[in-house]
Amino acid sequence: MDLDLTEDQAALVAAVQRLVDDHGEIPKESRRGSHFYSQALDRALTQNGFTHVMLESGLTALDAALVVEQVSRSPVVIEIGASALVAPHVADALVPRPIVLARGDLMKPQRFLPVAKSMLVEHAGDLKLLPVAPGEVEEISSVYGYPMGRFKAAPDLSASISLGASRIQPFRQWWRLSIAAEAAGMMQAAVEFTVDYVKQRRLFGTTVGNFQAVQHRLAHAYRIGQALHMLVVKAAWSGDAFDANQAASFAQQHIPKLTFDLHQFNGAMGVSNEHLLHFWTYRLKALQSEMGGANAAALDTADQLWGPAEPALV
Amino acid sequence: MEFAWTPAQVEYRQKIQGFLDREIPSDWFETYARGIGSPEQINFSRTFCPKLAANDLLLPQWPKAYGGQDREPWDQFILSEEMYAWAEPRGPQYMGVNWIGYALMKFGTLEQKHEHLNRIAGGQVIWCQGFSEPNAGTDLAALQTSAVRTETGYRINGSKVWTSYAHMADWCFLLARMGPERKNISVFLVPMNTPGVSVKPIPGLCEDGHMNEVFLSDVDLPEAALLGEEGKGWEIITFALGYERVGAPRYHFGRIALDRAVAQLKTEGRFSDPVVRAAAGRIVAKLEAGRLLNYAVVDLRVKDRPPGVVGNVQRVTTAEGILDLMDFLVEYLPDALAGGDRYLTFSYRSQVSGTIAAGTYELQLDMIAQRGLGLPRGH
Repeated sequence: MDLDLTEDQAALVAAVQRLVDDHGEIPKESRRGSHFYSQALDRALTQNGFTHVMLESGLTALDAALVVEQVSRSPVVIEIGASALVAPHVADALVPRPIVLARGDLMKPQRFLPVAKSMLVEHAGDLKLLPVAPGEVEEISSVYGYPMGRFKAAPDLSASISLGASRIQPFRQWWRLSIAAEAAGMMQAAVEFTVDYVKQRRLFGTTVGNFQAVQHRLAHAYRIGQALHMLVVKAAWSGDAFDANQAASFAQQHIPKLTFDLHQFNGAMGVSNEHLLHFWTYRLKALQSEMGGANAAALDTADQLWGPAEPALV
Repeated sequence: MEFAWTPAQVEYRQKIQGFLDREIPSDWFETYARGIGSPEQINFSRTFCPKLAANDLLLPQWPKAYGGQDREPWDQFILSEEMYAWAEPRGPQYMGVNWIGYALMKFGTLEQKHEHLNRIAGGQVIWCQGFSEPNAGTDLAALQTSAVRTETGYRINGSKVWTSYAHMADWCFLLARMGPERKNISVFLVPMNTPGVSVKPIPGLCEDGHMNEVFLSDVDLPEAALLGEEGKGWEIITFALGYERVGAPRYHFGRIALDRAVAQLKTEGRFSDPVVRAAAGRIVAKLEAGRLLNYAVVDLRVKDRPPGVVGNVQRVTTAEGILDLMDFLVEYLPDALAGGDRYLTFSYRSQVSGTIAAGTYELQLDMIAQRGLGLPRGH
């Protein structure tokens, strides 16, 4: 057991952080929206191999999870989880990105669909890789901090590639971990942003952060981010579906309270477009229900630990 | 970053598990459920701990010079995990082993070391912790119990409260004040049979026998009862409690109780309800988070680094899982807490103090806010 990052892992995180710092600014004119997809950051990460980090020699799912968490700390959004964590575990070849992850009804609104080139979709007992063309998609205005869109017409699944039913389990597992890794980065960044704010903003003759009622809830928000980070790195290291379920379950259970509290502490400023808070919290809200949300992860946990549900006794 | 156990750690865990499989009686959980501080539990620990000691399993982390094996904190933690998997059959021995022993090693005289360390190492002595008072719990520095110098030593007057195991303890690790400042607090090693020491059990929610009041009325102690120097009490307990940082794997208590509750719900045919299944599964994530944070605490200790706030984060996170579990019992298995299951009933009763003892839940949040987030002391 050694919970320090290796030198290589620390260097990886630092390199990603530099790119995020260089390209993580949201132009003032773009602050009015619910999200800002940074093509510049996307290009920089892709050119440096970070979006497909597991294809680099010697790098692992843990390295990929660290990249996803680090990129997700930025207020700008790019598609990183599906590319770095999910696709390498379900596809044998490089999947054109950005990638949408989907299950069930393909006509539902999906994260990243307006910018996507591919969709990995669990459909009719198979995992399929479906090319996505811009003309097939319409962008949707939403409360979520991602580019959201839906197909204008049912996509032609005959154009998809079957990846096989055996890929469904890893698809679900790594999707769940991707949700958790993204959430961990966002939670930590949103807490840091809010802590900075409450240290400066004055109220009743003192700073907002001086009130214990605020401190305790912020302490909870902080410890949730720290706990989630541990669950994420453990699940990425182990490659175990149970661990991924715990990471997603923990993340999705805590999103509602954490986002509520952070908005409360940023007050009216947090409601304005000048403030950055919603660029994290509105993304977190989208993740809250993905893959069925915390209850679905918890039900899978129950199956794993205690066996499948038996018929009720009459 | 590496989560795997080394082969030596796996072997050590297997040794402990083998010992526990042999030595824990089949009715142990019934004994355990008699309550913390019950004669049944304490009497069991009085025979169990010497067996642990005889098998080099009582104090792996102690220096060899004092009867230990000089093992690293991971081994101490592995031992704790396995003990907690059996709901901690060591009973009150944890105090002597985990921190009183270290205080004696660093601050004790040769005579004090000779008198106490061998007995702690043999699992043959029970200590209680004379810290909290009616007006000094979380704010421990406000304690009022006094120590006054006499011609032959010290005279102690005052009272302690919420003192676990005091009714059956052999010795008390007592804090007393010799002046108004924190720097006037001293530590005394007090035999519980000293004239002037009396114990009154406090009936409580955690089962009778857990909590006690200790009254100290003109208790005359020899000079040799002082640990370290006068006024060094705060330094001594800060040092000693640092050894508690390895932490108690309370998530194991949670998993034992949760597994037991699920087994009961299955027997009753009620664990097919997805609402119940999801509620149980949600708790697991919180307990697992507690487990990993506990690992992080130990990792810092192994590397001899400052603890930061990881221990505080761990305690709050584990507490969240345990509290959810107790609500789960009340909501989905209420009959278990009304005569249906003695173990679950005891688990429910004992958790009431889990967010109060050894630093309240709110104090943990204060520490995270101030030391972790750099916020000022709040109001």
